[in-house]
Amino acid sequence: MTYHNLLFTLAVLFALWAVMAKKLLTSAIMLALVSVTVSLIFFNLGAPWAGVFELSVCAGLITVLFIGAVSLIRSTEEKHPESRAPFYALPLAAAIFAIAGWFYLPAFFDELASWRRLADGSGTIGAALWDLRRPDLLGQVLMLAAGVFVIKSVFPRRTEK
Amino acid sequence: MDKGLLAYLLIPLLSAVIIPFAARNRPRLADILANVTLLAGLVNLGWLVLRPSVVRGDFADIPGDGFALLLVGAIYLVALCVTFFSAWFMEEGQPNRAAYYSLILASVSAMTGVVTTTDFFTLYVFIEVLAVTSFALITTDDSRGGIEGALKYFFLTFPASALIIAGISILLIVLGDLQFETLRIFMASDVPPGPAVFAAALIMLGFLIKAGVVPFHAWTPDAYQGAYAPVSAHLAGIVTKISGVYAIVKLGTLLRFFDGRASALSEMVMFLGLLSIAVGALAALRQKDFKRMLAFSSISQVGYIVLAAGLGTPLAVIGAVFHLFNHATFKTVLFLNSASVEKSAGTTDMEKLGGLEHSMPWTSWTSVIALLSTAGVPPLSGFWSKLLIILALWEAGLRGYAGLALLFSIVTLAYFMIMQRKVFFGRKSQAAESAPEVSAPLLAPAVLMSAVIVALGLLFPYFYTYVKMVAERIIL
Repeated sequence: MTYHNLLFTLAVLFALWAVMAKKLLTSAIMLALVSVTVSLIFFNLGAPWAGVFELSVCAGLITVLFIGAVSLIRSTEEKHPESRAPFYALPLAAAIFAIAGWFYLPAFFDELASWRRLADGSGTIGAALWDLRRPDLLGQVLMLAAGVFVIKSVFPRRTEK
Repeated sequence: MDKGLLAYLLIPLLSAVIIPFAARNRPRLADILANVTLLAGLVNLGWLVLRPSVVRGDFADIPGDGFALLLVGAIYLVALCVTFFSAWFMEEGQPNRAAYYSLILASVSAMTGVVTTTDFFTLYVFIEVLAVTSFALITTDDSRGGIEGALKYFFLTFPASALIIAGISILLIVLGDLQFETLRIFMASDVPPGPAVFAAALIMLGFLIKAGVVPFHAWTPDAYQGAYAPVSAHLAGIVTKISGVYAIVKLGTLLRFFDGRASALSEMVMFLGLLSIAVGALAALRQKDFKRMLAFSSISQVGYIVLAAGLGTPLAVIGAVFHLFNHATFKTVLFLNSASVEKSAGTTDMEKLGGLEHSMPWTSWTSVIALLSTAGVPPLSGFWSKLLIILALWEAGLRGYAGLALLFSIVTLAYFMIMQRKVFFGRKSQAAESAPEVSAPLLAPAVLMSAVIVALGLLFPYFYTYVKMVAERIIL
């Protein structure tokens, strides 16, 4: 239960960071971390398939796409001034949400955990990742490499200009 | 995943990672590494398939279903032609040279992953990698056309990915598993196939968009025309075939189109195939740009494969697989030749070209071989594959479809003849005056592929034995 709460808190923190970050790259990475924590919650609640797909699609593919897109933006475009005032209200909203969550979420997670026994317990994170979905990991490694090559292909041309 | 073919995925990936480090101070090392990797893979594949003992034994010793092996061969062959051509085509000092080769090799790895996987989700992951690498490759020379093409590719193919992932989710709910084999067994059982067919239809729709089938073809001409010249050959020759058409053929066999279990879907796929043949061919007749005309021709030829995949009978699948391979060979020749023309004459506008045959005889005659094969003129390879498809349609009682497929084959010959006359034959234009033949290394890939086209046509009985073995293994 504490584990769930901790992961949930982390997910919220990463999500806030993603919204408030000044750099788009940081936002993309924080969004990936949100997906990682959410997939860990999935794993722990006995849904390894959902966890693996969340990890594959959201933390892997989408992040590479975001980073690829960010790399296409020229440095001058990134420096447009923007009004950040609305973002400062976010921590306040988060605090109110946290107080509400303090009352409701533990009970919610308890109930979810009680449903876990209904899932057929198709294994641990390791079993799901390494035995069931091993080829996907290869795909992820390839995706990561492709992302790096995209950036290496786009950046030299931008700096030359 | 077919573990026997895993090395064909891992070795290009390894080379792709090594290239940026190895070629940091010596850019030409990137060309050498990429070409050697692909050539070694191709030689290895040749040894696996073309050993006299294997050929004498009617390819019974081929591991797996043989389909993956054939396509890995096509992937390596086209990619080798493209990298070899690029090594001499690319300007000296281009800043992203190493990354370009790494991206080509990463796309080769991804395509190998696509054809060797036996699971829908893994298929999706590799298709996405392919989309990302293609997106970056299209913009290699940073031209305005390239960026426009890449954006259109992005906006049309990513919704396709969304459809595919939605279909996969429903399939997981229905089948409890994402293995190809599970779907095949499910379709062979007596359970009502409704939800599984619905899920497969969503996946099929996604792949039809990725294959550039009419009416989802809007991205194809812009992407092919705007892309960096050798990349057009890579995209049209193999990438769209693997990221779209392959999955359509595979799904057709898994859904047992031949025994009418998913007849509505089968009919829809066939109709879209025929529509592609017609719209692609008629639009190609009216094009003024060489590359754009080839793009519409590609849409039309993909239509033949989709039509055969939709029919799904063993003979149709043999035709589809054969035409898939053939299309990779002749489109690579034509797109590489268009790149040569662009380099030599400085334009691909057919109105400004003419009479190039006198100064570029090799480019002209390799084009003739490729276009005659595309149009289905005997004894070239394209004739046999189209014949098989038309025979399969006739045999299934679909005489109207067979007649139209034959009719549009004649239209194909017509638009290619117009192209040949405008670009290579006829009176010399101003652009052709100062357009010398490109160097021998730039001609080599087109000549090699033309030789493959002629050889496949003349050695058809051997190739037929192989494709028949593939069709038997993937259908039964």
